Amino acid sequence: MKSINDRSQDIGPFVSQTDDAIIICRCEEITKGEIRQAIHDGMFTVNEIRRYLRAGMGLCQGQTCGKLVKNLIARELNVIPDQLDPATSRSPMRPVEMKVLGNEEVAHV
Amino acid sequence: MKRYDLIVVGAGPAGLSAAIEAARCGMRVAVFDENAKPGGQLFKQIHKFFGSKEHQAKIRGYKIGETLLAEAAEAGVEVFLNATVAGIYLDKELLVQRGEVMEHFKADTIIIATGAAENMVTFEGWTLPGVIGAGAAQTMMNLYGIKPGQKVLMLGSGNVGLVVSFQLMQAGCEVVALVDAAPRVGGYGVHAAKIARCGVPFYLAHTITKAEGSNCVTGVEIAQVDDDFAPIPGTEKHFDVDTICLAVGLSPMSQLLKMAGCNMVDDPRRGGQVPQVDENGETSIPGLFAAGDVSGIEEASSAMIQGRMSGLAAAAYLGFLSEQDKDNRLADLEIALDSLHQGMFAPGSKGKTIAKTDEGIAVSQSLLKKGYLDDADLERFINRSDQTDKKSGIHPVIECTQNIPCNPCQDACTRGCIKVGKTITALPRIDAANSCTGCGMCIASCSGQAIFLVDEDYAPGYASITLPYEFLPRPQKGELGIALSRSGRPLGYAEIIDVRSAKAYDQTTLVTIKVPVEQAMTARFYQPETNAAGQ
Ligand SMILES: Cc1cc2nc3c(=O)[nH]c(=O)nc-3n(C[C@H](O)[C@H](O)[C@H](O)COP(=O)(O)OP(=O)(O)OC[C@H]3O[C@@H](n4cnc5c(N)ncnc54)[C@H](O)[C@@H]3O)c2cc1C
Ligand code: SF4
Ligand code: SF4
Repeated sequence: MKSINDRSQDIGPFVSQTDDAIIICRCEEITKGEIRQAIHDGMFTVNEIRRYLRAGMGLCQGQTCGKLVKNLIARELNVIPDQLDPATSRSPMRPVEMKVLGNEEVAHV
Repeated sequence: MKRYDLIVVGAGPAGLSAAIEAARCGMRVAVFDENAKPGGQLFKQIHKFFGSKEHQAKIRGYKIGETLLAEAAEAGVEVFLNATVAGIYLDKELLVQRGEVMEHFKADTIIIATGAAENMVTFEGWTLPGVIGAGAAQTMMNLYGIKPGQKVLMLGSGNVGLVVSFQLMQAGCEVVALVDAAPRVGGYGVHAAKIARCGVPFYLAHTITKAEGSNCVTGVEIAQVDDDFAPIPGTEKHFDVDTICLAVGLSPMSQLLKMAGCNMVDDPRRGGQVPQVDENGETSIPGLFAAGDVSGIEEASSAMIQGRMSGLAAAAYLGFLSEQDKDNRLADLEIALDSLHQGMFAPGSKGKTIAKTDEGIAVSQSLLKKGYLDDADLERFINRSDQTDKKSGIHPVIECTQNIPCNPCQDACTRGCIKVGKTITALPRIDAANSCTGCGMCIASCSGQAIFLVDEDYAPGYASITLPYEFLPRPQKGELGIALSRSGRPLGYAEIIDVRSAKAYDQTTLVTIKVPVEQAMTARFYQPETNAAGQ
């Protein structure tokens, strides 16, 4: 874990790759190149990528791209994916309309 | 706020089994599931399950689901459908979305059995409509009766990829190829053989390089990969397809456990982020349990046992079951679970290359690379002296060559022709001392469709072969079609001399074909002639 939190480590320059245009996060339409660039901008965790790019913040809540983003970070940082934490889990687990979320039944029986 | 002794999240095999055990101990139990139908993955699984009698072997998945639902109702379990658990908070409080309302519930124990989600891989064009998960394909076909496409390429040779490929063909799709980046088939050989003899070619050590099409999938390009899984230029192959199915693994949906504050671990062998649990599924938070795929990807058979274990443990936690009763009942379940964890596909064997069966026979490399047994394999496995001491006349031929936890073939034969023995992973043997009546129960009971009845003396110069057939329309007696080899190669004309279906066969039709006697050990499938041009 130590190496991942060490922001001063040199991960080399961003070098573009032929498949950088591939979409990784479908819901928010974020490409592989954008995510790799963000890592080189200093976003070393899944949570940071989420906040920086919105990858994993769309309709499926990262169900599809969570693992893919994690693997991309691991590759750029040259660590194994298991060393990286997945994104924080928060309620609501599934996307929910605001009017429903606000419609809380507090005094049920 | 409504209160329960136990709330189970997820009405799949794990969740329902847990709820049933707990309710039978006298607990007030509620189960929430976000789907409109209960059963989790079970109602998509139209194939017969492996295992032993205690694991409900040879019963089709959806029937196991129906039994669980009936048992849950009888035990007084309240099942809430269209109920999505959106959050879990301190002191076992749950936030549940039901319709347009968010409701709060509280329980003294909670079991999370939320299952898993499908993994994806990326390649050029992977976001085109027509690229779908294998589980999604299964949902479309088996829950909603919708054909996912006409021509399909399957990526992934694990059991999910193999089973869904077969189901796609049952639904009337053409499966043009089965592709996997690994050098060997990952799932059971018997599942692979089932699709290989329908003529599906296997491309191991290959991957998808691109999905073609601008608005939807119109084709796919695959290429061979090197030892680092990088595509080798110049090895590309193209297929016209409208659907690409991805069966590249599952990841536990463990977010609720993480949200609850359980200690989590990243364990690639269990599929990803999973909670730390004891042998009964209790997490680092007392009274909070996890069962089924959410605590490690396995199968429905083991999910049901894990569910029951956590249900009993929850009951004991609240004092609905004495510690001694708990221990006694858990001991039996542990043995049942352990027997599923044996053999070549055991969790501990993952990633290992296995050279020989437990019996010391070299495994079939052809099965691992092409999906079918070759002639040399037949010598080792089928023509073993213990198999061929047959008298003349009809006799079973069993093409089950890997140590998998399965034995319904043994129970099926009341004549004692088939022996697996006490260790359910042992290869089935034929006891030639007992004579076969040709009743066909072994064929219909074999979850792997790996048993055939052969009679070399059917008529001068002709043999009869009885094989399992799970396609519609059922062939008719007298019909003339094509006999196919294990690799799906046409061998010549075959006449149907018998078609049998019976309640005891549970929807497997037994088709008997007449072929020249030299094809007795090569013909293994039948194709109606009308399909012959298309396939
Ligand atoms: C294609 C395929 C073929 C398979 N074939 C076999 C086989 O032949 N034999 C075998 O033994 N196993 C097989 N399996 C594996 C088996 O289906 C699973 O291991 C098993 O279903 C796991 O059971 P479970 O109860 O843990 O999860 P699931 O069956 O996935 O059930 C989980 C349930 O929880 C619900 N849920 C999830 N999150 C929430 C939430 N937040 N709120 C409310 N509800 C929620 C889901 O909607 C789902 O209904 C197969 C799997 C697949 C995908
Ligand atoms: S056909 Fe009947 S008698 Fe013959 S081996 Fe099979 S189950 Fe036994
Ligand atoms: S031959 Fe027996 S052990 Fe093998 S798959 Fe069929 S039923 Fe199972």
